[in-house]
Amino acid sequence: MSDFLFAPQTQQTMTQIIEIKNLQKTYKGNVNPSVDGLSLSVEEGEIFGLLGPNGAGKTTTIRILCGLVTPDSGDVTVCGYSIKNEMDKIKPLIGVVPQDFALYPSLTAVENLKIFGGIYNIPKKVLMPKIDSLLEIFGLTTSQDRTIEKYSGGMKRRVNLIAGLLHNPRILFLDEPTVGIDVQSRHVIIENLKRINQEGTIMIYTSHHLDEAEHFCTSIALVDDGRIICKGTPKTLIEEAGAKNLEELFLQKTGKKLRD
Amino acid sequence: MRRFKALLYKDILLLIRDLPGLAMMFIMPLALVILMTYLQDSTFNSITENKIPLLLLDEDQDSLGISIERSIRQSHIFNVDTTLKEERLTASSLEKAVAKGDYQIGIVIPKNTTENIRQSIRQSVLKTFGSDSASTAIEMDSIAIFVDPTTKNSFKSTIISSIQEYAAKLQTGFVLREVSIEVKRLLPIPMGEIEISEDMIGIKEQYARLDQGRLIPNSVQHNVPAWGMFAVFFIVISLAGSIIKEREDGSFTRLMTMPCPYWLYLMGKAGVYLMVCLLQLLLMFLMGIYILPMLGLPALEMGHCYGAIILMSISSSLAAIGYGIAIGKIATSNQQSAIFGSISVVIMAAIGGVWIPVFVMPNIMQTLSKISPLNWGLSGYYDIFVRDGDLLSVLPESGTLLVFAILCVVTAIVYDRKKRR
Repeated sequence: MSDFLFAPQTQQTMTQIIEIKNLQKTYKGNVNPSVDGLSLSVEEGEIFGLLGPNGAGKTTTIRILCGLVTPDSGDVTVCGYSIKNEMDKIKPLIGVVPQDFALYPSLTAVENLKIFGGIYNIPKKVLMPKIDSLLEIFGLTTSQDRTIEKYSGGMKRRVNLIAGLLHNPRILFLDEPTVGIDVQSRHVIIENLKRINQEGTIMIYTSHHLDEAEHFCTSIALVDDGRIICKGTPKTLIEEAGAKNLEELFLQKTGKKLRD
Repeated sequence: MRRFKALLYKDILLLIRDLPGLAMMFIMPLALVILMTYLQDSTFNSITENKIPLLLLDEDQDSLGISIERSIRQSHIFNVDTTLKEERLTASSLEKAVAKGDYQIGIVIPKNTTENIRQSIRQSVLKTFGSDSASTAIEMDSIAIFVDPTTKNSFKSTIISSIQEYAAKLQTGFVLREVSIEVKRLLPIPMGEIEISEDMIGIKEQYARLDQGRLIPNSVQHNVPAWGMFAVFFIVISLAGSIIKEREDGSFTRLMTMPCPYWLYLMGKAGVYLMVCLLQLLLMFLMGIYILPMLGLPALEMGHCYGAIILMSISSSLAAIGYGIAIGKIATSNQQSAIFGSISVVIMAAIGGVWIPVFVMPNIMQTLSKISPLNWGLSGYYDIFVRDGDLLSVLPESGTLLVFAILCVVTAIVYDRKKRR
């Protein structure tokens, strides 16, 4: 039976989709932990922004949630499954849009998407119409047979996003999905992500575009030194801190010292 | 299955789009096999086909002399001369020619040797049957063999055995004939001739080994499998390169966030590169059978066990794929893998006897060659092509190659798990 057809619907009654308790990770050779006792939960329907300066522990947290890195300790469940021993059940439910394009440059957009769709075990007769429809939504139909290496940065970002959406994921991890692209591409991406979220996909989002995050996220957590500094809706957090916007709140909470 | 098909589709597309890589994998080894076979053909001929010069003076001109000459010629080991250019061939001129080094072996079969044997046996038989007509013993001249000091013992043994064998046969024939004459004379009832079959003792033919128990292939039998192995192992550069490229462009990370276990990812790669390796070997063999003879070289004789060829081809390919996977996983950059991959394959090829066959290497290098996977593969193909070996005969080599492949893949998997921690 296809994972694509059935797995995403199995946990729809849950409210807490992701639950992280006391997550700890120190990379080999490092003294300081990248993630230091981080705890949070993400609920049904949220667009959750994980924000913080460079080296705060956002990417490590997302890599742990995606099964790319093994944590030292802590409990993490995704859609009710533990990342410790049920990653094979979690993977069909998540979509990942990495900051790197993570596409095969010498292949066309359609070829790339056919490969990723096949790995998600999507039957061909479902996959091909899905690819066509997503390419159309993201304005790539006319260039679908060009190799990725000939695409502009914005076009690559859009294909990168489509690759994470092919299997209608329950949760979508977005690592800087709009970095380095023009306003038009960013607009198309954000608008479509909002629509997809309304259709039921939970999103975990990281970005340094704080203005974008303020308007896009339904709730955020500010992370620094591997710990959560504050968590809530952008509006509440800004009001509570007496800041003008998310950027001011961010600087208040994480300081103005340069980070590498 | 859909996942595996998608991974195969990916790796086939990546391979097809890499035209320089494809050219390197297919055109380079085919060009090398033609060039090297052509260059080495005369060298191999000097090892395998140069016959030992032998000078024969047959003063007997009877059964024994004729039999000995025929057997020496039929051995295909000796180049037999029965005359000298500058002077008449005599026992002393023959000895002088061998002493000068013009010939490695000289044989003199004295006049009346056959007749003397015949007479001697007749006298012995008559004496045994108590005949009064038995006369005194006949004096026999020995067959003289002159040997150059550099002649290998194996060749001397071959000659002496041949002569002894034919002398013994001749004597037996004469004994039987004389005995049957005497028996007929004594018995009142008629009797037929005594006949003894020459095939009473069955001889199972084994591979002839002239020296140190080795068999020497011709240039095609060596170069086709040797460069085939080189080609198969040269895919390491392309395979490791594709693994590293996927890691560098982030697509590997994406795959690992998908329902795609690492072992399945490796299976996809192995499946495609196995097809590449088998195609490379097939092209090499076809070239050995059809193209090389057009260039005046011997055609590749592949033995008779196609199952053994398939087993060797698959196990060699898997060993190369395993090695490529290990390099691709451990190397930190494409440059590093290309340099390490190519140099290590070239070294393994050199040690393993791809360029210079192991049997002409010094003893220490012959021992060292056994650590090279290319040598294991080459030895397996020698077993099939030169010794006409079967499945059982290539099991040690193919088993070693498969163990090597498994060790490499296990190393890659362990390294991958360690990296994720």
